[in-house]
Amino acid sequence: MIPRQVRKDKENKMTEPVAHIDNLTIQYPNNVVLNSLSWPIQKGKNYVIGGTSGSGKTTLAKAIAGLIPSNNAVQLNFDNNLPLPAKVVYISNWYQFTNLEGDRNFYYQQRYNHHQGHDTLTVKAELEHYAQKEKLDFSAIEERIAAFGFEDVQSSQLIELSSGEHKKLQLIRGLWAKPQLLIIDEPYTGLDKNSRIVLNKWLDDLVAEGVQLILITNDNHLPHSINSFAHIVNGKLEKVTSQSEFARDEKRQRKELPAFLREFPQTQYDTIAEMNNIHIRYGKKVVLKDVSWKVNVGEKWLLQGPNGSGKSTLLSLINGDHPQAYGHDLSLFGNKRGSGESIWDIKQKIGIISPEMHWYFDQNATVWHTIASGFYDSIGWFIDVKFHEKKQIEELLEFFDLTDVKHQNLNTLPLGKQRLAMLARTIIKNPPLLVLDEPCQGLDNDQAKYFNDVVDELAEYGKTLIYVGHYESQIPSCLEHRIVLEKGEVKAIENILDTVS
Amino acid sequence: MANYFNTLPLREQLNQLGVAEFMDSSEFADGVNALKGKKIVIVGAGAQGLNQGLNLRDSGLDVSYALRKEAIEQKRDSWKNATDNNFTVGTYDELIPTADLVINLTPDKQHTSVINAVMPLMKQGATLSYSHGFNIVEEGMQIRKDITVIMVAPKCPGSEVRAEYLRGFGVPTLIAVHPENDPQGKGWAEAKAYCVGTGGHRAGVLKSSFVAEVKSDLMGEQTILCGLLQTGSILSFDKMIEKGIDAGYASKLVQYGVEVITEALKHGGVSGMLDRLSNPAKIKAFELSEELKDIMRPLFQKHQDDIMSGEFSKTMMEDWANGDANLLKWRAETGETAFEKTPAGDVKIDEQEYFDNYLLMVAFVRAGVELAFETMVEAGIKPESAYYESLHETPLIANTIARKKLFEMNRVISDTAEYGCYLFDQACKPLLADFMKKIDTDVVGKNFNEGKDSSVDNVKLVQINEILRNHEVEIVGRKLRKAMTAMKAIKTV
Repeated sequence: MIPRQVRKDKENKMTEPVAHIDNLTIQYPNNVVLNSLSWPIQKGKNYVIGGTSGSGKTTLAKAIAGLIPSNNAVQLNFDNNLPLPAKVVYISNWYQFTNLEGDRNFYYQQRYNHHQGHDTLTVKAELEHYAQKEKLDFSAIEERIAAFGFEDVQSSQLIELSSGEHKKLQLIRGLWAKPQLLIIDEPYTGLDKNSRIVLNKWLDDLVAEGVQLILITNDNHLPHSINSFAHIVNGKLEKVTSQSEFARDEKRQRKELPAFLREFPQTQYDTIAEMNNIHIRYGKKVVLKDVSWKVNVGEKWLLQGPNGSGKSTLLSLINGDHPQAYGHDLSLFGNKRGSGESIWDIKQKIGIISPEMHWYFDQNATVWHTIASGFYDSIGWFIDVKFHEKKQIEELLEFFDLTDVKHQNLNTLPLGKQRLAMLARTIIKNPPLLVLDEPCQGLDNDQAKYFNDVVDELAEYGKTLIYVGHYESQIPSCLEHRIVLEKGEVKAIENILDTVS
Repeated sequence: MANYFNTLPLREQLNQLGVAEFMDSSEFADGVNALKGKKIVIVGAGAQGLNQGLNLRDSGLDVSYALRKEAIEQKRDSWKNATDNNFTVGTYDELIPTADLVINLTPDKQHTSVINAVMPLMKQGATLSYSHGFNIVEEGMQIRKDITVIMVAPKCPGSEVRAEYLRGFGVPTLIAVHPENDPQGKGWAEAKAYCVGTGGHRAGVLKSSFVAEVKSDLMGEQTILCGLLQTGSILSFDKMIEKGIDAGYASKLVQYGVEVITEALKHGGVSGMLDRLSNPAKIKAFELSEELKDIMRPLFQKHQDDIMSGEFSKTMMEDWANGDANLLKWRAETGETAFEKTPAGDVKIDEQEYFDNYLLMVAFVRAGVELAFETMVEAGIKPESAYYESLHETPLIANTIARKKLFEMNRVISDTAEYGCYLFDQACKPLLADFMKKIDTDVVGKNFNEGKDSSVDNVKLVQINEILRNHEVEIVGRKLRKAMTAMKAIKTV
């Protein structure tokens, strides 16, 4: 998110577009993304931009914000009469922070390795730093911070934040600045239900003050002030009348699940995980409080709770990622934790996917290497893969339609495909337990449906499932039980069929 | 206590110096079994102590921490580190007598007092581990004859040891068994198991000796790793200021340049680093580095000689006894240099620009790496050991300079390395005075290629490439880097 200062034009007329994009072409080495795109953004038009995966939405947003060169194809005309800063703010779909020493060499488990937490700024310090730089006043956002449920988070280090909390921090920074033009890439990713309502209200209030909005999203719970829609097709922008007309990715054809995934996992234990009265704290901050939970072999669980309620921390206890798991009443796969098992013994039985693991995954891994690393529970791929394992990788590449991109770097693919590659990594060794932590974050409804259908089918073959998702419309139908966390405590453990019809 | 190395006959000195064998991964097939169910007590919970302990526990081993009474009573950082992660923490008296393996991960300077406190409490037949052999080799510490003495030395900072482990990998590691202390012949099995427990077996393990580790480690850190990077940085910065380059730009170029340049070294060795330059620039950098090698060779040799004879450790230990007078004086002087006091400017420097505008550092790095390597090998150290202590570690140290300049580098490295670094720096600067007089901004501060014809003489270029690629550090480097297939960029820019 880099604000861009632009000259204030003295002869600015009210009729002039806020931004005028004329003949914008942007190409990467192998493909043309935007092809002589033209788009006059008229004042008062608040847009949602759609389009298929990889159609160039983010590229366009970055070009408007001046983050990638546009060869003068983008003209910005700000209104001198508005009391708002004459600039564009772009909020990216992921905020890439650095530690205090400028390093970005993070790993996904770092949140739980508390001793290294001092490496990054606290949320409070980050916000203060930003306020000073942008000359902003804290009193202007106190209420918003409270509405987001973000007050308690302020003493946390950046590295300790959950993915939903990260999103909130990004949004708070961008909205606080009240720029004349605000562009948000995937504003709702990872937000819980309440935060989404709070965000939309805040956006509507900003529009009332003169902020102009461009949102990139396929989500359909939008602010009221959205009044225009457009999508990108073949590198050009086309206006449409509603989201339902957005170009969609082709519906994926269901294929037969590879045979190796239809084998029931062999288990010599009845319980996957059993924990009693677990407390986890970082210094004075309590993250899990008196949590007890039992997951039996074959059960399908939904884990829910607001952002920052401790969901990922709870999962980290199960998948061997939390150093504080030792010394607690915790058993995994029939063994007491800390009785001589290694974390690799534990991980070998689990297929895991989470936003953090995805964000911190090896940037140089190809799709093939990403999937292969699932055999070894490593980030990136280090070891020679055996022949039968190679066969399984080929089968999964085929199953998820990833064969033609198998040699591409993971991070060059559209998000939907990246998630499928990560799912393939998760199931490649056909583990008895699948831990899917918000696997559909950032996917549209069609993509999520396809993903969850695959999960449902996998579940038929004896796997135990723990699934985290905020929205009932985006969860698989096989789920039977639900555990709900709030502020680190178990709020409910229930049979899902009784509550959701 | 007498210097252990100096008590050995020449034949045995050469014998121990020459231990260096790159271990096949099949040697680690037994995993952590040799330590399974045994009680491991770590002394010290700093960066190495804590992170190695976390890895060992995550590998299924039984780990606890012994801290000094005061550290526990005053709830110091070491106590917090260990207790926050749910480790058992106790005093030496409480925990050491129960230990099958005591791992000493305190700073060099404390080793004598720590060992004197710990040894009487250790049970018969237990094992004592070090991650640096200074105390045994230079100070001549004598360990009780029933105790097995091993070394496991990950060649990375503690935070990387943890990060790479959790990514499912590890960091390159040296292991050794002290020949005077292996009464039951279990030393190698335990050193290997310990190494597996930290993940080191996935990234390449070198079978070494206490003597080889100490004599090569000291040499590397004093010359190429810390000494020369400090000298090169200061001289480069001063030259740019003298020639009117913007101070903010100069500061940024020097602070981050060394990291960007040595990142290429990490992946492709010396020739890979020079391949980042245009052909004319490569020839220029080659010529400068040849000249630097001629000028600095006697200084490198002097450092190696003083390390071998024990002269270096003797003078440093005198400074310890003198309350670190020299160390503190030199540290303060480093803090006062213009480079250290000028913050990096808010200017964007592209990755390639760091090479094109900072040929001089490329020349310094090539000269330093090759000189350190050649000098060590001439002194009887095996090429594999010499590689780890020169080329391999250079990017890691460069990363600390990028973080917070020389102050950070000197804070992160051991006091022993810091002392040696200042010794080298003070002798090297005057040595390079005449050389630096001829240096202009075309090789430091401005783009060397600007306004130049890009043609070169075929034969000359081929000869230079051949010299670069056929150097022994390149040949052994290619082999060892292959074992580290998952080398990650540690980047600040």
